[in-house]
Amino acid sequence: MSAVPAALKVNHRPVDLEGVPADERLLDTLRWRLELRGTKEGCRSGGCGACTVLVDGRPTLSCLTLTRELDGREVTTIEGAPDHPAGRAVLEAFESEGAVQCGYCTPGFVMALTGFLGRTPRGHRSTERLLRELQGNLCRCTGYAAIARAVDRAGREAP
Amino acid sequence: MSSFDLVAPASEEEAVAWLARAPTGETAVLAGGTDLLNDLEEQRIAPRHLLSLRRLPWNRWSWTGPALTIGSTTPLVDLEYDPKIRSEFPGLIGAIEAVGSVALRARATLGGNLGRSGSASDLIPMLLALDASAEIVGPSGRRSVPVDALVVASRRPALDPGELIRSVLLPEPRASAYLWQRIRPAQDVSHVGVAAAFSPGDGRWRIALGGVPPRAIRIHPGASELPGRPSKAALEAAARRAAERLPLATDLRATGEYRRLVAHALVIRAVEAAGAMREGAP
Repeated sequence: MSAVPAALKVNHRPVDLEGVPADERLLDTLRWRLELRGTKEGCRSGGCGACTVLVDGRPTLSCLTLTRELDGREVTTIEGAPDHPAGRAVLEAFESEGAVQCGYCTPGFVMALTGFLGRTPRGHRSTERLLRELQGNLCRCTGYAAIARAVDRAGREAP
Repeated sequence: MSSFDLVAPASEEEAVAWLARAPTGETAVLAGGTDLLNDLEEQRIAPRHLLSLRRLPWNRWSWTGPALTIGSTTPLVDLEYDPKIRSEFPGLIGAIEAVGSVALRARATLGGNLGRSGSASDLIPMLLALDASAEIVGPSGRRSVPVDALVVASRRPALDPGELIRSVLLPEPRASAYLWQRIRPAQDVSHVGVAAAFSPGDGRWRIALGGVPPRAIRIHPGASELPGRPSKAALEAAARRAAERLPLATDLRATGEYRRLVAHALVIRAVEAAGAMREGAP
């Protein structure tokens, strides 16, 4: 129904939507069509946060998003995080605090936090607020203490 | 190959016309999809067409005096980050923040939640306490229906064939609060959810209880029964009566008796929390 060819951008790169099946989820487009395997599949039903990416800067569950619904939108994945000002600070904070155990939940945590810090100035980043934003991200290693330290550090250091 | 096709009309007229032509029972309406996609994944439904509302101008809100009209496809996250909605409808924000996680609320919508009419909805009790109504559009034009008359049964809202939920109207800002009980904040649904709101228009409270099948219920105590600034005893009695109205429904999440005990405590706390917002008000 659209005259313009349907497309979205992933990490600034245009992706043609014409050949994407109607039932394909963003999670699968990223991992299998674009081979961006950093985004992880956890529960595939909206409960774990492992598949979190940014859509127009907002943390979004890629498992509950049909790819074709994102016509004209901009997606940022963990592969794009180093080029995102807040994303870079979050990655560095996770590294310096050793906030990674098995690593499976890490991309989801990083993108959820990046999305929040990217739109929230300093002074509005209390520990409580930051942790509330991350309630939807589960770490099955239960490495939350190190993650909480990294979250605090990122809150202080991100631009 | 996909088992369904995805249709995204560019206008309300086109969407209604498409739905009117579509064979009955073969089309599912897609707003945010956070619930629908799980039904598709689990093969609980197998529609041939998905009618996507994403291109319709229903993803925004507007103020008319004190009244707030929220387009049905507005992502919940847009509402929770708006300072004016946050200050005028604190209970609505509380209910929105009870829906899954931030990343889920980037997709989830008010219209989608009403269209599903789930008995576990956190939004429906608050909409009931705010006396919200939904604007419906369909083959015979537009009509307005109170949310109470829309959410009659889980998965089966009182919509006629070919009708879509266009927007939700909140008539006036109200001191309000939404409280819930569940195991985990972002990965579970409420055993019980309680919404309380005080209407400055008629000087009376609305209390709505949700999370319990078959549907959320609203209680509208008289001004003598539950005054604007109730005594502890009056509030205690009103909360007990409200909790007794809750159906005794036991499921894997909680027993009916436990839900009533929790509801009793939450009604007291919700009225107190909303009442505290009225400090300084007449």
